[in-house]
Amino acid sequence: MIRFIQWLHRWVSLILVIQVALWLVSGFFFSITGHHGMSGHQYMVSENSKPPLKKLATQVDFTEMYQRFPSAHLIELVSVAGVGQYQVTLADGSVLYFNANTNENWSTGEALATQLALSSYNGPGHVEAVERVMGSDEVNGWEASGFRIDIKDDLNTRIYIDEASSQVVEHRNTPWTIADWAFRLHFMDYTGGRSFNHLLIWSAGLFALWFSLSGLILLGRNITNGDFNPNRKKTWLEYFQQKGKPIASSCGGGGTCGLCKVTLQGSDIPSPKAAEKALLSANELDAGMRLSCQHRTSTNYEVKLHNEGVSDIALTLDSKRQLTPSIMELTFVSSEPVNYEAGQFMQFRIPHLNEILSRHYSVATRPQPTRFVFNVRQLPSPSEGVPPGIGSNYLCNLEPGAHVDAIGPFGDFQLTKQNNHTQVFIGGGAGIAPLRALIQSELAAGSPRRCIFFYGARYEKELCYRDEFERDERLNYIPVLSEVAKSDAWAGHTGFVHETAMKWLADENKDTLDVYVCGPPPMLKATLESLADFGVPREQVRFDDFGI
Amino acid sequence: MSEKKRSSQWRVWHRWLSLVFGLQMVIWTISGAYMVFFDLDYIHGDHLVQDVSQPLPEGTEVSDLDKLLTRYPETEKASLEARRLDGKLQPVYKLKSDKGEFLVNAKSLERIEITQHHIEDLANRYYAQESADIESVVYMTDNPPTEISETLLPVWQVNYDDFGNTSLYLSETTGDLLVKRHTFWRGFDIVWMLHIMDYDERVDIETWWLKAFIIGTFILMITGIVLLLYTITFKRRPIGGAQ
Repeated sequence: MIRFIQWLHRWVSLILVIQVALWLVSGFFFSITGHHGMSGHQYMVSENSKPPLKKLATQVDFTEMYQRFPSAHLIELVSVAGVGQYQVTLADGSVLYFNANTNENWSTGEALATQLALSSYNGPGHVEAVERVMGSDEVNGWEASGFRIDIKDDLNTRIYIDEASSQVVEHRNTPWTIADWAFRLHFMDYTGGRSFNHLLIWSAGLFALWFSLSGLILLGRNITNGDFNPNRKKTWLEYFQQKGKPIASSCGGGGTCGLCKVTLQGSDIPSPKAAEKALLSANELDAGMRLSCQHRTSTNYEVKLHNEGVSDIALTLDSKRQLTPSIMELTFVSSEPVNYEAGQFMQFRIPHLNEILSRHYSVATRPQPTRFVFNVRQLPSPSEGVPPGIGSNYLCNLEPGAHVDAIGPFGDFQLTKQNNHTQVFIGGGAGIAPLRALIQSELAAGSPRRCIFFYGARYEKELCYRDEFERDERLNYIPVLSEVAKSDAWAGHTGFVHETAMKWLADENKDTLDVYVCGPPPMLKATLESLADFGVPREQVRFDDFGI
Repeated sequence: MSEKKRSSQWRVWHRWLSLVFGLQMVIWTISGAYMVFFDLDYIHGDHLVQDVSQPLPEGTEVSDLDKLLTRYPETEKASLEARRLDGKLQPVYKLKSDKGEFLVNAKSLERIEITQHHIEDLANRYYAQESADIESVVYMTDNPPTEISETLLPVWQVNYDDFGNTSLYLSETTGDLLVKRHTFWRGFDIVWMLHIMDYDERVDIETWWLKAFIIGTFILMITGIVLLLYTITFKRRPIGGAQ
């Protein structure tokens, strides 16, 4: 459940992040500007006191208007610029305006509009322009004909006057325009209608609710876990990170990346949490494997780091040779011996411009304490102007005698413990390196298990270490080519390597196989899916997706 | 490995900031959702009342303007309309001067005093819901409830015993409907208060703490974005992880 909430929190935030930023920025704008600053009414007279009607000497009487419109709901007499104006509201809500001296329809000329605009204005500016308009984008809901009086002042004031009634419709200015945009962003109403009841903001509101409530639940969990207690015990991950011990984590303790694995030993080890059940297999959990971010330091049990033997290694290039057109074999030596297992990888520190890049390469031979062989796939420029792979380019251009720093060993792509299973290796491209190390290591054992190696390449000349694999009779080496020209004298298997492997697998007992897979991502994916389809138990499949 | 350690630091910041600003964010989203999901016209209570204006009774005689202005010389605005008083539709002039508004009989020009009886009658006519059960009628001269502006005083408050605990506020001089309030308006007022964080007057959007919380939430968001970059992966991880 907590994992679902974490997932929800993260993905909803990804969808919502831009709108949240807009809400915050526009909200901040509202807060620094204030109601008055956004109203457009900075220079608007709040209300003019009108002269008493008695002074207008009105010619047309109420009784006359009433006789003319006996079904009117309301007849009002007001003073507009010193002249009486009758406003007659009809049953349908529409309003008619009449001059109370002439009994004619009220009309507004440019001069009157200007005069009324100025009497509603108390700023420092003067009239710059008067323009006839038919409604305005700036005045929501006003579509009648009228005038826009532009005032030359510091706020760029515009005053709108309705023609039929001579009423001052609105004052607008530059701060109002900016605020209007802030409202569009805040309400997600880009029509300018300032409505906050529409489908778009309903959806955003729902997402925001899910987002903040999931955050609240996660926060509650943090509080009950004691994450805010300054005296709380550290998690093992924090402890190891502080001690500078080698431990991987990309999520930083959220229980989502599954990299900070440790093994707990003792009779009283904590039961696995939801994150661990999701990210570790049942076998791993049974073996005491846990994620170090999920448990606090304790003296009730022992904790074993998986990468205990990791250290800095100073490597010197001894020799290099081109294995295939795209793969270079580099042999390094170190002055200090390093303990590592077949199938493990080293992390190279590649200087590039002002930074140090990390690149992972698996050792391509069985363990030799001071000698390290790597297969580096040279990535050519994908197109002109785009640089070739930085790491591979750097390494392939090293000359014998050159030094490079690495950290290692890492990785748990290793041979299974002694059993009598058939060892099946499936690889492609530069994935050859850790597989070759595993095969060499297995064959060097006292009584090697049955080994079969499917290796996929595009052309015959890309079959690296072919002689070595064909020479050893204890290994069943099955190369598979995916792009064979008719002119080639190739009598072996063709197609994708996993297809050939699956045909062979069909006749095998799935429960007595250990499968190791390493290769380019599409091949790795296709192979793992096929293995799952064939019913090979997940615990018997190991793969390496690094180093490619 | 140093870049891996950094994400832990961001996570610690994200948690601590959320403890302060995240809670306000929850309040903002809940209050925002309330305002977004309830239609503004509904909140305004437009469904609670109806237009009661109607034409004057046929053949009505009204006093002419001269007489009106001679008797009430300070009038700045006059309107002729029909109003139901004491059980019958009566023509009235509503007059406005700088001293306020009041009604006079359109024929006799006698000033009309609005009584509690008139108010109940008028309120029931404005009221548009099915059964008009008045719970109480209160004449207010000071200490208005927070739901109305002090400038409306003195005012009649007519409370209905209905779903939304409707209150209509009518002018003491004209009997005009001034404002209407109901439960969802009151709820809106509360979430608006929570949204702008002015717990006192519910109008000030310029408080320093509102600005501080917006900035704090912005920082919280930045830490969240950084964590997002660290943790969102488009690669599906096989169940059980790498062996």
